[in-house]
Amino acid sequence: MLKLMKYEFRKTMFSKLVLLVVTGLAEILFLTGVFLEWDKGLAIGMVGLLLCTVIGIFYIGLESLIVFHRDLNTKQSYMLFLTPRNSYQVLGSKILENGISIFLAGAFFAVLAAVDVTVAVLYIGGLQEFLDLLKQLSFTWDVEINISRVEILMAFLSSLASWLMMIVTGYLAIVLSATVLAGKRFSGFVSFLLYIALTWVSGMALDRIPSFDNVTLKFWLVIAGAFAVSTVMYAVSGWIMERKLSV
Amino acid sequence: MLECREITKTYGRKTAVDHVSLRFEPGKIYAMLGPNGSGKTTLMKMAVGLVKPNSGSFYYNGEKVGQESRREIAYMSTEPYFYNWMTVKDVGQYYADFFEDFSPEKYAQLIDRMELSMDMKAKTLSSGMMAKLKIAVTMARSAKVYLLDEPLNGIDLLARDEIMASILEATGPEVALVVSSHLVDELERIVDTAVFIKESHLIEVCEVEELRSQWGKSVADRYREIYGHGGESYAEADEI
Repeated sequence: MLKLMKYEFRKTMFSKLVLLVVTGLAEILFLTGVFLEWDKGLAIGMVGLLLCTVIGIFYIGLESLIVFHRDLNTKQSYMLFLTPRNSYQVLGSKILENGISIFLAGAFFAVLAAVDVTVAVLYIGGLQEFLDLLKQLSFTWDVEINISRVEILMAFLSSLASWLMMIVTGYLAIVLSATVLAGKRFSGFVSFLLYIALTWVSGMALDRIPSFDNVTLKFWLVIAGAFAVSTVMYAVSGWIMERKLSV
Repeated sequence: MLECREITKTYGRKTAVDHVSLRFEPGKIYAMLGPNGSGKTTLMKMAVGLVKPNSGSFYYNGEKVGQESRREIAYMSTEPYFYNWMTVKDVGQYYADFFEDFSPEKYAQLIDRMELSMDMKAKTLSSGMMAKLKIAVTMARSAKVYLLDEPLNGIDLLARDEIMASILEATGPEVALVVSSHLVDELERIVDTAVFIKESHLIEVCEVEELRSQWGKSVADRYREIYGHGGESYAEADEI
């Protein structure tokens, strides 16, 4: 599985390098703006960094679907399906690699944002302002520490479940397009419609989970439901690939 | 060893392979012969699980082909299939990562012999060089079954000799080698058994030596009889 993941990473390395270079350029603009008190550069750098974060993370998810579509619909599929690995491992490695990439990208941009804020506050406002900010943050943290930990966990799990459902639904739509709809006219368009339909159906199913008059319980049930739906879609995709996929 | 039973594959209304049953034994070299579109490639792809049959199955040592059988069956496709970013060295590393029977040393020797170099980009190779790369990476495995689909396509005469020599080096009492090709004369020199496929049907499986001694015919003669001028029907061919 690790070897499959290594090559999944290698397939998307170029776009990640491009993202890194563009982020680097935006960072240079931002820091130049800070140190030279150049407002326009500072603004462009900030917007650039923000766009890199949002679009970059979204594209890492999207690229996983693009690569999977290519892996099933071109002769490069032989590279995967000639190896002594089964379809569940192939799918699993793609999901894991993509999850790790998105997590690392998120962590990278969060650290970068923290460093940039620190540098900006230190340089523009001086050490005292920075210490005040830290004090203010730690005060807020102390007050809300019990709630925040749960909230952070809930936010993380909810992001994880949303991403997982999006990616696995996409995989299932691509697998159906390459197997059941293979060779049919408009199979690409139909698979997109299928993606929308699957997303709608799974969303509807999760909406129907009862709340039992408890918002927190409802949240955990929805998260559990999302993981269950994702697991079912992963298993169905692997099953179809093992039995029906001809590349 | 490797066999298929009543295997059938259709693409829409077209039948690519129609109820074929066939067995490949170790220690023998097979030529899979037939014109374009006869079903040779589909049959080979089903043997490694790249194509799933509509009915019937391929079995390797009694088990349906799949993840496990791919450890011991090496397949060389007629189409290029390496990732665009790969160099010749990357291709070798990929095979080394996934196949326990892959020998990097043998691969390096074969690359050298095929006059390729490790830093060449796979996607920029000419069709002849690509064919050499595919042969090198496939034959650097110590597989039990080799399925080579048109390995001599687009190869000049001198390189063809190198490729044939590399293929023959893999033969052994435990190895079955199946080669598909239009170049019947090239294969005639090396094969033990000829498998004739026509219009998705298995027409005939004949021992080359028997064909020569009992019927006084070469594989090329038999090929002309089956495929030339409309050729023989399935029933006629069955009589020989």
